[in-house]
Amino acid sequence: MTKIAAAARKHVPIFLVAAFALVSPAQAQKSGGSITVGQELDIPGFDPLKVGVYDTSTNTAAAAIFDTLTTLDEKGEVAPKLAVSWTHSDDYMIWTFKLREGVKFHDGTPFNAQAFKENFDRQKDPANKCRCAFYITNVKEVLAPDEYTVVYKLTDPSVNLPAVITIQSQNNVIHSPTAWKTKGDDYNRNPVGTGPYILKSWTAGDRMVLEKNPSYWDKSRPYLDRIILKPLPDAQSRFASLQSGEADIIWDDENDADNIMKAQKDSKLTVHTYKGSGAQVYAFNTKLAPFDDVRVRQALVMAIDRPKMSQAISNGLSRPATNPYGEGSWVKCKDDGALPFDVEKAKALLKDYGKPVEFKMLVSATPRGRMIGQVLQQFWKRAGANMEIEQVDQATIPSRAFTRQFQLTPWRIVDLADPDPQMYANFRSGSPLALSSFSNPELDKLLDHARVTADLGQRTEDYCAISRLINKEAIWFWTFQNTYYALSSAKLKGFPKIYNGVIDVSTTWLE
Amino acid sequence: MLNFVVRRLLAILPVLLAVSLLTFLIASLLPGDLAFVILGDQATPENVAALRRDMGLDQPLWWRYLSWLGHVLQGDLGRSFRTGQTVLQAVAERIPVSLQLMLMAEFIGLLIGVPVAIACAARAGGAFDRFMTGSAFAMLSMPSFLMAILLIYLFAVELHWLPATGYVPFTEEPLSNLRFFVLPALTLALAEWPGIMRVLRSDMIATLQEDYIALAKAKGLKPSRILFVHALKPSSLTLVTVTGINIGRLLGGTLIVESIFALPGIGRLLVGAIYTRDLVILQGVVLLVACGFVIVNFIVDMLYAVLDPRIRHGHA
Repeated sequence: MTKIAAAARKHVPIFLVAAFALVSPAQAQKSGGSITVGQELDIPGFDPLKVGVYDTSTNTAAAAIFDTLTTLDEKGEVAPKLAVSWTHSDDYMIWTFKLREGVKFHDGTPFNAQAFKENFDRQKDPANKCRCAFYITNVKEVLAPDEYTVVYKLTDPSVNLPAVITIQSQNNVIHSPTAWKTKGDDYNRNPVGTGPYILKSWTAGDRMVLEKNPSYWDKSRPYLDRIILKPLPDAQSRFASLQSGEADIIWDDENDADNIMKAQKDSKLTVHTYKGSGAQVYAFNTKLAPFDDVRVRQALVMAIDRPKMSQAISNGLSRPATNPYGEGSWVKCKDDGALPFDVEKAKALLKDYGKPVEFKMLVSATPRGRMIGQVLQQFWKRAGANMEIEQVDQATIPSRAFTRQFQLTPWRIVDLADPDPQMYANFRSGSPLALSSFSNPELDKLLDHARVTADLGQRTEDYCAISRLINKEAIWFWTFQNTYYALSSAKLKGFPKIYNGVIDVSTTWLE
Repeated sequence: MLNFVVRRLLAILPVLLAVSLLTFLIASLLPGDLAFVILGDQATPENVAALRRDMGLDQPLWWRYLSWLGHVLQGDLGRSFRTGQTVLQAVAERIPVSLQLMLMAEFIGLLIGVPVAIACAARAGGAFDRFMTGSAFAMLSMPSFLMAILLIYLFAVELHWLPATGYVPFTEEPLSNLRFFVLPALTLALAEWPGIMRVLRSDMIATLQEDYIALAKAKGLKPSRILFVHALKPSSLTLVTVTGINIGRLLGGTLIVESIFALPGIGRLLVGAIYTRDLVILQGVVLLVACGFVIVNFIVDMLYAVLDPRIRHGHA
């Protein structure tokens, strides 16, 4: 149960969390030392006006340089960070945050409500044309009534706002207004936050050196003196760098199943994995034949053997999904309405349909995309449907999906602390992201209800009913849950959960 | 000579223009809409249309090419939409790494290729010659990414002699810098030396059959003197060309090698630009690299003319 739900159930408008501890005190933290983090991508910069949307590598660096208002603790519950407490209006349209006092940015300027508001206004200002603005369209405005109070006014109710703003993303991390004003164009590569680490140097394409913030507001942290972030794009050499000791922790994913399995057997290495929320998903275009017929959609879903598919694409590491929420989500369904794997039933359904089933499926032009396409093609062939793989560039998929130029397209539901933003966008009638072009009053009612209901039990019921409806109509299907990996030296301790794929090393120490 | 230089320079101009057109077309015709790339997969059609208008993407292709070329001619290759850095800044930051890698690779390639070629030519058809010719083919058919991974596992993971990935500028720590470059340069060099060796070997075999070599032998000169002093220089004409072309070709090799060894050079910049569809960087870097290639070829032509006067007088 999350803090939001706990608060909501009791109908207590204010809740305070006195103690702030990210790491359980079972292990003794040691101070000092330096670690090198091997990331997948180069970091383009931090100014949201310039880079727009942070990628996972940027999120990782942002987790050390900046703070967010709230954070997720080890149990996945919302905990204070720069905000110490929060309240909401009855309709969840207004959220008020009390800020931590005495916090300073790395440049010595104070962090307060005005600074927060300026961050927000800068992203929202149409004149700045920030690509980041799209993600905060649900926020009407942010007010700063006094030095340590921030008020969010929303356009739609959001019971989950404190959870949604925990990700170290372009919209949520707080920059020093003085720094971006004085540095101008240079600010992108010279970020200033309130976080536990300060940027010392940054060699383009090579290394970013972060040093301990001696005046961090959480006096017990950070433990490490220095963090070096390095882009190591090649998965094989990234793993070799970990083995040879040049890197202490590296980013990894299921594409690299062999190395993950090797690391599991190596006593000098630790495999960190987080079973997040969300899933790898696929949307049928229900406006086009043959997917305008529910029998065809159901048949295709029932013909997929997920365990076999997992074996083929990731040595069995991928975890089958029967709903869009995943193990990391607080939504746990007793009955999610998943269609069973049943080739005979699939054949019967297609026979009942009576016409030959032939269609094209979009897959990304990557080795993994191709492989997934080929595996599905085989499953469906067995059931009597002919799928033609249409390989397109990764960037082409969104444009084809938005303009509905597809019969079947891959998509994703990312790991967010609450299902509402994505479920609402993906399934509410009329949403530009409702790729299936499927409209159902019952589904709309459930989606509308889930976003204004405080009671977590009730919301769970709504989301499970939504899953049952989508599974029954088979407008989308899910193959695997999102799982995140990081491989580290066994000496690295205190590494938190990999929420949203972010390798947050700001709480770690070396044994 | 001046005439020759001017003639060659004039011949380069249409090549450069063609290069610019091709570069622009390649980047423009890549699938995927730049506006979608920038806005991410949650953008609305209205956002996308507005951005396309702002960026001039709704204009005809010829208009976009001319306007891009106009800026390029004024030295403005544009700014990355990801980092806000200008293309020239980005390239200037990374070119020293790639140059060092290419020069070291070419140097190691010559270091292996030239002595082997001389030794092979000295006893053409002998056991050593046959063995090295066979090895050269084996090396040529080995893809560089495989070679890189093998070298990393042997020297970094197993033996711990050299680092697997990383980089420090030469100006900061010269020795560490060289250590970081050994494996990547060796990876490229192992694919380079066979070409060098094959070219020099056949030229030397031909030279060694010339009358003046027979005369030198008859005069009783030491075989090593005949090889290194009398035969090497006249045999190295093709080698100069090959070395020149190699430097251009090596740029292609750096795409893979810099990614594997995490060297922050032009190759990595280009690969990153492709991944993130940073078309401005992509166009700019490809254009600069292509121009670099044309210029290196021009320099090779000049060297050729210096080595062999017949060429600049148009007799060859």
